[in-house]
Amino acid sequence: MSEAWRYFLLLFGAAVVANILLIRFIALCPFFGVSNSLETSLGMSISVIFVMTMATSVSWIAWNYVLEPLGVGEFLYIPTFILVIASLVQFVEMVIKKTSPPLYKAMGIYLPLITTNCAVLAAATESVKPGFFTKLNIAYHYGFVESIVYTIGVAVGFSLVLILFAAMRERLELAPIPKFFRGVPIAFITAAIFSLAFMGFAGMFGL
Amino acid sequence: MDKEERKRTLRGEFLKGFITTNPLLVLMVGLCSALAISTRVENCIFMGLAVIFVLTCSNVIISLIRNFIPDQVRIPIYIVVIASFVTIVDLTLKTIPPVYERLGVWIPLIVVNCIILARAEGYASSAKVSHAFMDGLGIGLGYTVVLLIMSVFRELFGTGKIVLFNATIIDLHIKAVPVILIMFPGAFITFAMLSALLQWHQARRKPESKEGSG
Repeated sequence: MSEAWRYFLLLFGAAVVANILLIRFIALCPFFGVSNSLETSLGMSISVIFVMTMATSVSWIAWNYVLEPLGVGEFLYIPTFILVIASLVQFVEMVIKKTSPPLYKAMGIYLPLITTNCAVLAAATESVKPGFFTKLNIAYHYGFVESIVYTIGVAVGFSLVLILFAAMRERLELAPIPKFFRGVPIAFITAAIFSLAFMGFAGMFGL
Repeated sequence: MDKEERKRTLRGEFLKGFITTNPLLVLMVGLCSALAISTRVENCIFMGLAVIFVLTCSNVIISLIRNFIPDQVRIPIYIVVIASFVTIVDLTLKTIPPVYERLGVWIPLIVVNCIILARAEGYASSAKVSHAFMDGLGIGLGYTVVLLIMSVFRELFGTGKIVLFNATIIDLHIKAVPVILIMFPGAFITFAMLSALLQWHQARRKPESKEGSG
């Protein structure tokens, strides 16, 4: 299997086959929270792709060059990663505010929310901590590039579903829905059908 | 505040987690873990215990130190407190390999479980220690109860029986089971049903309570 093909499989698998929202149920809170309108979900998606990739790179370096050599990874990885993510989010927020006001205007309000986005911590943990990554049956070495590719895949999968779902929910506002199913329940039923559709990707390319 | 009133408040703090501020159904926080692990009753028992432990302990600690925390750095401090308790749970559960394997990434993810941070920020940071303790216990139990309802429904009808600690508790003896319930869409459907049920319950109760409170 060539390197490029393996990276493609990793990306595709993380984004679609083991979609973080619909197949693995990670990060559902921001999913149902911001999917009310297409515009907010676009802003959220861009911020998530950006922060997630950075968070994984920093966590990977922290794990491989600090925690693992010192032999404290098992005890300290949770506080380390979450602090890395929290401070990174703060840092990114400050940098964007200074350098690009229009981008800050678009991403600003979503950045603090991302700290508690489980997907960021999940991607960081899975791409550095051997043992958690079991969903995709392809050889995986936890190298730096692989971690980044995997994380981008996860983030793209998150964005894809978030945007699709937001578009769907805007239509649902107008649909005649039984009284007690309005609001949250119908959103979950829609998510169930989406999830069913995404299960169809299972087994594609042998993943 | 006299003794009786305080007692009533403590009880109220404890009970509100079940219906009025149920974390899953009303506050809509902590959904991710609830949907993902409710395929088996056994998972839910361990997950519920883990969340109750972390929530109660972090609530108490945050309530104890609430007057010393500078306002600007409160979120990182909360996260460090929560992360320490999650690490305790993580290392404890590691001694039960099959459970640890099944709960997998969900244990470290308790740190970013919105329930715990939301209670720390929204409640424990401005409450008395005893109230924070009761709140943690109540909200944790409310979470566990919904988890158990979902998992009993999903495991019983999705697989036809409930297996708890390697012993079959209930066996329906049916061959054709709706497997979809223990698959991914089943989680969404089950939760949608519970949520609709709650809306129905609230709609039924509303006319009476509206007259009373206005």
